[in-house]
Amino acid sequence: MKIIDILERIDRRIIYLVLLIVVVLPLIFPSVQSVRVMPPVEKFFNAVDKIPEEKALIMDFDYTPQDMPELEPMGIALLRHAFKKRIKVLALSLYVQPLGLAQRALTQVTEEFNSIAKTNADSVIYGRDYVFLGWQVGPILAMLSMGESITNFYRVDYYGNQTDTLPLMKLIKNYSNVGLVAALSPSDIPKYWVAYAQNRFGINVGAGVTSVSASEFYPYLQTGQFSGLMIGMKGAAEYEEMVESNLKVKGRRKASESLPSITYAHLLIIAFIVIGNISYFIKRRQK
Amino acid sequence: MNISSDPWIWISALLSLAIFSFLYRDNPFYRFAEHIFVGVANGWAVTFYWHNILMPSLFNPLFRQGQLLYIIPFAIGMLYLTRFIPRVSWLVRIPIGISMGYYVGASIPADVQAYIIKQTQGTILTSQNFQAWNAGNMGVVWSVILFIGVLCTLSYFYFSKEHKGILGVTSRIGIVFVMIGFGAAFGYTVMARISLLIGRLQFFLGPWLGIIE
Repeated sequence: MKIIDILERIDRRIIYLVLLIVVVLPLIFPSVQSVRVMPPVEKFFNAVDKIPEEKALIMDFDYTPQDMPELEPMGIALLRHAFKKRIKVLALSLYVQPLGLAQRALTQVTEEFNSIAKTNADSVIYGRDYVFLGWQVGPILAMLSMGESITNFYRVDYYGNQTDTLPLMKLIKNYSNVGLVAALSPSDIPKYWVAYAQNRFGINVGAGVTSVSASEFYPYLQTGQFSGLMIGMKGAAEYEEMVESNLKVKGRRKASESLPSITYAHLLIIAFIVIGNISYFIKRRQK
Repeated sequence: MNISSDPWIWISALLSLAIFSFLYRDNPFYRFAEHIFVGVANGWAVTFYWHNILMPSLFNPLFRQGQLLYIIPFAIGMLYLTRFIPRVSWLVRIPIGISMGYYVGASIPADVQAYIIKQTQGTILTSQNFQAWNAGNMGVVWSVILFIGVLCTLSYFYFSKEHKGILGVTSRIGIVFVMIGFGAAFGYTVMARISLLIGRLQFFLGPWLGIIE
């Protein structure tokens, strides 16, 4: 019984320390953990893969620094997929905070592709292969207005260029030229895309969401309102796996690198929960 | 080990450590970092909205380009400030009413369609819904479980009749589904929080200390 008493009085800071060690060690000494791709991510990958040549992928970057570890790897994997398949990308943010992070992901992936490109056709070129529309006031207003005309709503892009002068924007007028919206968001924004853009204009929507909000998004996948769903770091790792194995695109896989830490941390927390419950029942019996 | 010489990386790392120090106990380093964060976030937001909304969308068209029509949104917006003057503070209801009217009008039809009608359709036992699970014959089983789960959970939240008899049984089954939902949400929450910790640790070990790539 002494052990139970000790465990009951254990300082929470010791638990933090143990958790820290369990998370840090797999990062310093990485081990290979196989990634099993689940149907929601596979559906997302296929939805992106099937975007016709004449249509674009809208990538809605809506994550902020506190959600970046989960959602940025999704954005990078999606961009690698799109650029490899020569799918045109319209990037945007419906809130102001994510703008810098969206630019960071775009810069990283374009540099990855351009560093190995041999010709102009192989390169990823701004205005031809992708456009960063930036941000405009009002998420709902943006979703509804883009159904009519994208360049009328986003008159200038993130860098201050007139959007109607960009070659890509001469081809992509509104949602009729868009194959899929990939919404990477920690909030309800993917649901807004369904409610406002999909209901009215019939656009396909895929969602990349944080784990904490995952359970509220599953019903939209089951009803077919989402064409695919990525959840947290695990979902990002699955998409990284699909991009690397199917398209042979090499690059740093930040989410996959983190999986061993997540696994061991989960095992530790399960152990804590089991120990806590055992001690609770033993104490209750004693009383 | 290749420690960064970039001062911005150091500032970022030290502020993160200051915030993490709260896990030990409340301390001046934590409060310093917290106040810096609040100040920077507010300062950034004010300047961003000034330069990206008020100037290009209102002040420039109205005062520099002389587009007098913009005086209407300007006047309506200014009514928000009347709440500081008790005698005319009722005027604040005008901009609030306009905003509410716009959002309610835009959202009710869309929300009903997306969140109620489509979700109800997804719950009905049809062959199309069985196939939506991509689980072969098990699709029927999952659809039936979903159907029972939705009905029983709804019955749990029906408070106009005492939970006895049939309603007592269904509401008890409903609470099981609710608890499973809470368990799943908790599991995902753990994954989310651990992921955030990993993100920061990757920053400490990578760009700051150079221990990992």
